[in-house]
Amino acid sequence: MQPLIVLENVTKVYRTEGEEVHALRGISLVVQPNEYVAIMGPSGSGKSTLMHILGCLDTPTSGRYLLNGRDVSQLDDDELAYIRNRQIGFVFQTFNLLPRATALKNVELPLIYAGVPAAERRERARRALEAVGLGDRLHHRPNELSGGQRQRVAIARALVVNPALILADEPTGNLDSASGAEIMRLFTQLWQLGNTIILVTHEDYIARYARRIIRIRDGRIESDTPNPEPVHLEQLPSMP
Amino acid sequence: MTRTELSEAIAIALDALRANPLRSVLATLGITIGVSFVALMGWFLAGLDSSLQHTINMLGEDMLYVDKWDWSGRTSWVEVSNRKPISYRQAQELADAVRTAQYAMPMGQTRAQLSVGSRKAESIPVAGVPHDYGNTPAGAVTRGRFFTEMEGRSGAPVAVLGPVIAKQLFPDEDPVGKEIRIAGQRFTVIGVVRQRGTLLSDFADRLVLIPLERFLRLFGSGQRSFITVLKAGSLERLDDVREEARLLMRKIRRLRPEQPDDFTINETRSLEQSIAVLRQSVWGVGLSMSALSFLVGIIGIVNITFVSVVERTQEIGIRKAVGARRRAIALQFLAESVVLCTAGAVLALLFCTGLVLLVRLLIPAAEFLTPYIPPQHIAVALLVAFTAGILAGWAPALRAARLHPVEALRYE
Ligand SMILES: Nc1ncnc2c1ncn2[C@@H]1O[C@H](COP(=O)(O)OP(=O)(O)OP(=O)(O)O)[C@@H](O)[C@H]1O
Ligand SMILES: [Mg+2]
Repeated sequence: MQPLIVLENVTKVYRTEGEEVHALRGISLVVQPNEYVAIMGPSGSGKSTLMHILGCLDTPTSGRYLLNGRDVSQLDDDELAYIRNRQIGFVFQTFNLLPRATALKNVELPLIYAGVPAAERRERARRALEAVGLGDRLHHRPNELSGGQRQRVAIARALVVNPALILADEPTGNLDSASGAEIMRLFTQLWQLGNTIILVTHEDYIARYARRIIRIRDGRIESDTPNPEPVHLEQLPSMP
Repeated sequence: MTRTELSEAIAIALDALRANPLRSVLATLGITIGVSFVALMGWFLAGLDSSLQHTINMLGEDMLYVDKWDWSGRTSWVEVSNRKPISYRQAQELADAVRTAQYAMPMGQTRAQLSVGSRKAESIPVAGVPHDYGNTPAGAVTRGRFFTEMEGRSGAPVAVLGPVIAKQLFPDEDPVGKEIRIAGQRFTVIGVVRQRGTLLSDFADRLVLIPLERFLRLFGSGQRSFITVLKAGSLERLDDVREEARLLMRKIRRLRPEQPDDFTINETRSLEQSIAVLRQSVWGVGLSMSALSFLVGIIGIVNITFVSVVERTQEIGIRKAVGARRRAIALQFLAESVVLCTAGAVLALLFCTGLVLLVRLLIPAAEFLTPYIPPQHIAVALLVAFTAGILAGWAPALRAARLHPVEALRYE
């Protein structure tokens, strides 16, 4: 099977006012389809930087990134936008929803840029929202939703294009533990349905849902191990 | 560019307009003013054209007026005022000698006081004309009749009134058969000239026509300059008549070959030339004012669009993160500035239409103005506003399109 992700000695250097920050110092990594990975590490270790490169929001300073066998490390802005649109669903810590748009409109957004016609767009967005349990909140704006619900809208937006890869940078960071667990349950279900999920977290109890845990420190991979005792959905207390 | 990108861009632009209506109106004020200039200019010029056409139709296209004065204003005023007046004898001689014209007649003009009982009107133009004048378009009567050959030759005290002066002297009654005084002398009103509403309303609608004989007796012929009115009969004969009249008049005036004409053969068409001067200055002023307003307007829109880019930085980040390409983002801001400018133009057109209707309602004298703004000018105004929108949106749109997605997302 072709790996979904191959990183070969990827580095990222930020240059600001003559100062160089080596955020990534040579990351090599292979992720197969339908893996469920948690990335952990102290603040400033380069987790978000790595996620941005994996999500084609940014390009490495050096090294190669093969996504589905294609080298995407040297693509231009618009080519990266195309890949983000078709292959990647990104979930942010701060949700990043359009505040003036309804849940439905927010989820439609990637489909607009994929050129999907309006009627089909609405239908697919509605189904994605139903899949994350928000079938009754289609016309609510973000400020009319709880934090957990907002994050589920964001997940629906990530799902709606059927991406090859779902990335989430501290998706539970702005949520209380109950909502956080709810979101992790959702990710776990999505993984069970065959999606590939990579998420960043600071919390051990969040990372326990994943099947593989990568720890990075100071821009390098410190450890990369299978999760010895992953959470199974049946173990979860039932959610309201 | 995909249809969904375009319709999304327009939807965002309209949404932005709804979110900040007051700011939008202020931002687009320059465009609104610029478009107003274009629209009002069009309105005025169209009015000028239609009244000019009206006047020409009224006077007849085949009319020539041999006069000391140049109506088109092309001969210098100094030269014209130094010309010797055309005496009654000269004007009559020319009228008698012309062979090619259908009608030829001398005409005298002056201004005099008119009165009916205690009602007085000062400085009303009075023309002495032969009875033939009743056969020209300018002498067509709507009520009563023109004077007869007998009345003309004998210099009967009869008068044909222009419609405006008739209304002024006899607001509520039929003037035909009534008595008026011209410069103190008694006249009987026998007819009223057809109403026109023209550019030269003084010339046509307030003019009082009396037999030339009576005119000479009343006002004398002394230093007065007379006009010879020629009706060619058809447009094809106009050149022949003009040439014949010119040669005859040079002979009558005893001009040596090297001397220039000391008279002008005016045509109704020379009115077009005098209007052309006015038209040019209206264009000149109108265009420079609107260009200035558009410039100010564009600067305003550039500014507001840059503000919008900054305000929406995070939104740009979100859109890019889910796959918006540069052109989609650029389109969003171009659409915003185009919608702003077009909205400003529509606002201006509504405002100007209201103004036009109001002027028509309140100032009847402005009747020569058409009650609408010509569609070509509306099209031009909208096109210019659209172009202004694209120009104004270009730099901000480009900046927005080039934002780095991660940095845009991180922007607070
Ligand atoms: N745009 C940038 N310009 C300059 N330096 C940056 C930029 N983004 C990140 N860095 C630096 O790169 C390093 C890694 O940052 P990164 O955001 O990847 O860390 P992180 O592991 O996500 O931390 P946290 O857990 O706090 O989110 C840090 O030292 C950070 O200061
Ligand atoms: Mg981070």
